[in-house]
This record gives sequence, C-alpha cells and structure tokens, in this order.
Amino acid sequence: MYTLLVSRATMLVGIAFAVAVLALRWRVTARLPLVREQAEPRGSAARGMIYAFTLGMAPWAKESTRRHSLSYARGIGFHLAIFLDLALLIASPWWSSWAGPVRIVLALGSGLGALLGAAGILMRRMEPNLRALSTFDDLLAVSLVTLFLAACAICLAWPPLLPMAYLVATIMFVYVPLGKIRHCLYFFFSRRFFGAFIGRRGAMHSTGSVGLAPREVSR
Amino acid sequence: MSTQASTALEVLQRQLTQPLVASLEVCARCGICAESCHYFLSEPRLENVPAARGEALRRVYRAETDWLSRLLPGWTGAEKLTEEGLARLAEMAFTRCTLCRRCTFNCPMGVDTPLLMRAVRAMATASGAAPEILVMLADAAIEKGKNPEFFRDIFLDQMADLEKVLQEKVGDPHARITVEREGAQVLYVGLSGTHTILPPAILFHTAKEDWTLSIFEASNYGVFLADTGRAKQIAARIIEEAKRLHVKEVVLAECGHAYAAMRWDAPNWFGEPFPFRVTSLVEKIDEYLAAGRLRLNPQANFETVTYHDSCNMARNGGVIEEPRRILRAAAAKFVEMTPNRTEAYCCGGGGGLVALPDYAKLRLQAGKPKADQIRRTGAQVVVAACENCRLQLGDLNTHYNLGVRISALADLVVTALEPPRSQPPA
Repeated sequence: MYTLLVSRATMLVGIAFAVAVLALRWRVTARLPLVREQAEPRGSAARGMIYAFTLGMAPWAKESTRRHSLSYARGIGFHLAIFLDLALLIASPWWSSWAGPVRIVLALGSGLGALLGAAGILMRRMEPNLRALSTFDDLLAVSLVTLFLAACAICLAWPPLLPMAYLVATIMFVYVPLGKIRHCLYFFFSRRFFGAFIGRRGAMHSTGSVGLAPREVSR
Repeated sequence: MSTQASTALEVLQRQLTQPLVASLEVCARCGICAESCHYFLSEPRLENVPAARGEALRRVYRAETDWLSRLLPGWTGAEKLTEEGLARLAEMAFTRCTLCRRCTFNCPMGVDTPLLMRAVRAMATASGAAPEILVMLADAAIEKGKNPEFFRDIFLDQMADLEKVLQEKVGDPHARITVEREGAQVLYVGLSGTHTILPPAILFHTAKEDWTLSIFEASNYGVFLADTGRAKQIAARIIEEAKRLHVKEVVLAECGHAYAAMRWDAPNWFGEPFPFRVTSLVEKIDEYLAAGRLRLNPQANFETVTYHDSCNMARNGGVIEEPRRILRAAAAKFVEMTPNRTEAYCCGGGGGLVALPDYAKLRLQAGKPKADQIRRTGAQVVVAACENCRLQLGDLNTHYNLGVRISALADLVVTALEPPRSQPPA
C-alpha cells in the first residue's frame, strides 16, 4: 500500500513538472512575434484551421499518408493508445475494481499500442534514412512511451503491479518537456499555422489527383 | 566563433517567430515527407529528405536555445554554428530546396520546411554567404528603382515600337500602350522582355481595359534571398508607382514568385493593406472570360495542352482553378498532369535556382519527376503561368527530349482570341 501511494505521488510530481514546463513553453512561444496578415484573403483562415485538425489529418488527405498508409496507421494507432492510457491513468486507482473482461480488453488495446511503438523503434533502426535522421532523443522518447503503454497493459491485466506503471509514467512525464515528446505541444501551433495559411490563400488540399491516369478534361 | 557565424545566429534569433519555432520544434523525424520532395524522387538520398534539411537548422537552433542540448549536444544532435557549417547550410538552402512547400502539405505535423530554408537563406544573405548572382540581381533592381530616369527614355522608345506591333496585331491604329498613365484603372507590371508585355496588351485592348504599363519589372530577387529589406525596396517601387498613378488594381505578369511576394507577403512587409487590389494576369483573364469581355475559339489551339502548376501560384498563392477554366476555354484538348493542383511537383526551377548557372545540372536532375509527368500526359504544349517555371520547363524539354512546346497562358489565349462583338456586353 505504501509503495502504491509513494509511486502515485511521485507520478503526480512528474505530471506537475511536465505540465508546468509545457505551460511555460506555451507561454514563451505564444509571446513570440506573429505576423499579422495584411493581404486580402482568398478564403477563410478559420476554415483552413478546422480542416487542418480534422479532414486534413485523414489518411487520404495527403499523398504521403496515402503512400505510407501502413506507417501512418501505425503512428495513429500508437498515438490513440497514448491518449487512451493517459485517460486510463486518471482512473487507475479504481482499476482493481473493474470487471476482468473490461480490463483485459483495455490491456489488449494498450498492448497493441506498445507493439506499434516497438514497431516504430524497429523502423527507425532498420530504414537507413530514418536511422540517419534519428537521435538518441528520438529513441529514448519512443522507448519511454512504448514502455509506458506496455506497463499500462500489464497493470491493467494485473493491477497489483500498478506501482511499476507509475514509475515508468513518472520517468516519461519528466522527459516530456525536455526531449522530442514536447512536439505534442507544438503540434497545435504548427497545424494551426498551416491551416491558416492554406485557408487564407485558398489552397486547401486537392485530393483525387494522385494515382489516376492523366485525365482529359471534357469541355 | 567567427563574425560570419555570429551574424548568422543574430539573424536566426531575430527570425524566431511563432511559425518558425513551431516548425523547428514539432518535427518528429518520421521521414514521411521524403517522397514529397522532387529532389528525393530524382535522387533518393538522405540530404534530399526535407526532414533532414530542416534538421540541419534544428541542430544549430538546439545548440543555441535548448538547455538539454547545451548540456548533452550529442544526445539531441545539437551543433554549434561554424563558418563551414554556415556555408553548408547556405548551399543546401539555396540549391537543394526550391521553397515549393510540397513537403509542408504532406507533413502530418504541418512542418514548414521552406520557412526553415528561408531562415537559413536570410542568415546566409546577412552574413555574406548567399549566392553572389542573386545579390547582384536584387541590388540591380533596387538601383533601378532609385534612378528610373536613367532608363525611362529607352523604355518609352521600346514601348512606342511595341505599340506599332500591337496596332498591327489587333488591326486597330488607335490601340495604345501607355506607360505610367495617371488615373488608369489597371497598372500592369511585366517582366524583363516584351514577350510579357505584348500578349497582355492585346488582351487588355480586346477586353477594353483602362490600363497602363509600369516601367518596373514584377520579379523580386530579394524574396529568393529571404532578405526582407531588399524585397521591400524592390516592391516599394511598384507600390509607390501604383499609389502615384491612383490605379485601382495592380496586375502582375505570369510570374509565380512575383505574385506570392506582391499579393501575399508585401502587405505584411509594409504592415498595411494596399489601397489597390493585387492580382495575377491569370486571374484577370479568368475575370474577362467570365464577364464575356474576351471570346475564345478553342479550335485555334488544336494541340493537346497540359498545365504545370507553379508552386507559388498554386500551393503558395491559391490560383488553382483559374488557369484551368482559361485552358478549357482556350484549347481544344486539355489534359491534367498527375498529380496536379496542390499536389503538383515542383519543376525544379523555383527559389531562384534558374538564376544559378553553377547548379544547372542539379536543377535538371531535380526536374526529372516533372519531365516524367509531362511525358505521361502525351501533350504537345505545356502551359505554365510562371516565367521561372517556363525557363526550367524549356531546359527540361531539351534535356529530357520531351518534344513539347512551352507556352505562357496569355500566349495561348491570344492565339484563341476571336474578334470582339460589335456590341460588347454591358
């Protein structure tokens, strides 16, 4: 019981650290200059932003994700598992009271996420360009998140091991704002700017132009 | 640290806006952007992966701004900027990225690698590491703006001669090419050479436009240098001219970077919207067709025609459907390249690369995906609404033996022009 409480408290400190440093980063970034667009728009920046966070993320919206659909699906699955486990972590004090089949299903989801994370690490090591692009930071970041998912899976199946999940989560949370995982914060900035750009300029993605034979336009 | 490197770092610090920092921080190095780059498609090696290009700047950024990277540079791949490093960065930004933004459109994070490459270009320009030829071209344009009297008389003589050609072409002895006429509705800004003035003059005359000609050129080499100071001075010539003449609209020649610069960037450089509209000749022709001010006979252009989307016009400018509407009206058979519109491949000549003769081989190699696309269409005519693209496409045509003719949009429209009705529509 004592181990559980201490590990839970430690994790809360880790979360507080991550949130505080990310909030600070958010504040610092949001205070950087942002050019106020003066040109008359061709379209709506708001529409572009909505698109960037919704349909623009769809697997069919970009040539790159159509071309690498498996890799993209792996990434999406991995990230969905992270969000799932972060939500589950909040409810972790009650895991042991949940029905066995529910925990097993959730454990399978987390486990699948961990497998997808491991696949990501393998891809980074095996594909020459990805290997060359990767830093130690990349490998540690993906490994920590993968371990977190795996720990959640194990502890969902067997709740007495929960302190282990808390320990892994603590290390992960502390590393979130320090290394590559902080892209979770900048994602919102980046997609917002991209959406505003394509929306204002009326240059939304045009789907359906790839993979088709040269098309004669009927007049 | 050398003065050159420290100057470059100062410029980087000054450029750290929200979008730049977001693009520096957000890349997950997943490498999914690789095949979106025409350089990578033509030569699949690491330095042609957009993420790797961005990473070259990120390493420097981390060394300057991230405490973990300062503590353990090897951990995050941080790297202090040196003179040699700056030279490498500059060469990459000026010759291995045409700023086409195809990678940005294909990145799940929305990383704007061309924005990073612009930052590097600005660092290189400020520290004297930019290609000399681009600096010279930009400075020549600035000098021209300072002393327009030196060439005004020659230009007026040239336009008087061109006016005679216009009168002959349209069969109207009253057709005029006026230069800097105050009170005209439209100020047309051409490029170097009468080939960008005569066809629009024919179209303006036929559409009964109240227009006048700028003595300046639309191109802006300050943009390629990512030097806002120079770019602003070059743009200011046209802006002041338009204000002085009290025109309602500035119509730019078919030129991608000039359009992106004047239409989208220049109002930001000056911090205010312009008291006139800025459009491309492509948009203007489209408007004339919609209003019935131009009538075309598509059978006059009987060859199969395809369209190359200039990156600055399409992805960076939003002028996507206008050229297609024009081509459907002006050509008997129009075929699309695949992919097209915002997914079109860059021709390889953008970002000022056509002006760098030392890199011609690299430019032609990077244009291979575009050459292959053109070949697959089976078209005889390739239309592009950008002068730099047309220069590159012409070179690709010769190099890859494509057997096509490269044309501006206005040229094709002029060929298809039908005489105006005796009673023009209201």
